[in-house]
Amino acid sequence: MTDCDDLDMLAAEYVLGTLDAEERTRVAQRRQADATLNDLIQAWEARLAPLADEIKDVAPGPHLLERIEQRIEELEAQHDTRDNASQQADSDRATADTGNVVQLQRRLRFWQWGTGLATAAALVLAVLLLAPLPTQQEHEPFVAVFQQNDQQPAFMVSVELPSRELHVQAVSAEPLPDKSYQMWIKEDSLGPKPRSVGVLNDNLSLAANALSEYSPELLKRATFGISVEPPGGSPTGQPTGPAIHGYLYPATRRL
Amino acid sequence: MHHASDPASDPAAGTSTGPDAMPGAITREQLEALLQGVADQDRQAFARLYEATAAKLYGAVLRILKHEQRTDDVVQEVYVTIWQKAEQFDALKASPITWMVTIARNRAIDELRRRPTARHEPADILDQTASDTPSARERLEGEEDAQRLYTCLEELEGRRQDMVRLAYLEGWSRADLAEHFEQPVNTVKTWLHRALKQLKGCLAS
Repeated sequence: MTDCDDLDMLAAEYVLGTLDAEERTRVAQRRQADATLNDLIQAWEARLAPLADEIKDVAPGPHLLERIEQRIEELEAQHDTRDNASQQADSDRATADTGNVVQLQRRLRFWQWGTGLATAAALVLAVLLLAPLPTQQEHEPFVAVFQQNDQQPAFMVSVELPSRELHVQAVSAEPLPDKSYQMWIKEDSLGPKPRSVGVLNDNLSLAANALSEYSPELLKRATFGISVEPPGGSPTGQPTGPAIHGYLYPATRRL
Repeated sequence: MHHASDPASDPAAGTSTGPDAMPGAITREQLEALLQGVADQDRQAFARLYEATAAKLYGAVLRILKHEQRTDDVVQEVYVTIWQKAEQFDALKASPITWMVTIARNRAIDELRRRPTARHEPADILDQTASDTPSARERLEGEEDAQRLYTCLEELEGRRQDMVRLAYLEGWSRADLAEHFEQPVNTVKTWLHRALKQLKGCLAS
């Protein structure tokens, strides 16, 4: 069997649907950068498409369209908010979903909201990573590291207090196919549930003013989370996907 | 839980593709025009596209997930994706309904692999599959393409035909097929590859 055959069979089985989760993820990832594989997949989609004629129509419940439209409204509203905050967001959005996306979800640590404890390792990483930063007393940055595994942080978040300017930076995290990352804040005075800070844009970043409504004191006490959500963010207003957590930690403090 | 669409909730009611329009009643060209409208952020076009295609996509996802709430969630994601990606639809590469069904099947299978449901009795499914073919089929695709695929499928050995259908329509993995056909997974993989190559050869001839 030639490599060419192998690739064609991989495409065929991807379209047929017989691959396991890991293989599907790999193919979905690879086709973004591999035009040959992508073409083979599309050819198989066309070949097998008539099989879909066998599917019986089932009318959805009467409110699904409404739900979908609401969801789109929410996404557009977030989009507009981000536009106002940053024109960059608009151009990001325009090129959204065009690919180059990599499935990361299953590599993330699956921490639930409420367990609440960032690992000591995350804090150590935060300090190690930010130790070289210049330190200015009045702009003391606070950082949180969102850890993906024991070696690498997925995201690094820093907040300049008291301006509350937020910087989210993907370290090893990469965009996910058909998923969005959403950042959350949780603090006792905000109630028991996390609140959305915003959906990360395609640069895996957020508007610098996304935390401006919260006081510096609250931010110091808060837990932050980044969860994997359907495209455009959680449909429920609460984290629905796997989340990784971190606390803000003064970057200038030594262990 | 499933009802016919409520005309009162349909902003596009009264247009040529009313809320009760089934996919079979809308042409490929009309769907292409609606998708173009969606790409231009036309909400009315989106509502009409939904009305024309939701039952097909919902049916495809429900058949794989066998669970209404999960199907609702996946179909919602699918239409949000359609709204966001309509501009990427390429009429030269795929028919509109194939493009949309592909998005729906991929999403449903990804969801099924993430959280597998108990498999239904294979016998029931095969019966259902058999009873649906081919006379009860709706002709979404070009008549000729469909005819050729079915002719080629008929040429496959019986179990391999079943494998292709169970995988495509029900979302069965190699492991599911291996269990049902009481064969090692590698044997199933070999059978699948033979079946797919035979299909490809037959379709190309």
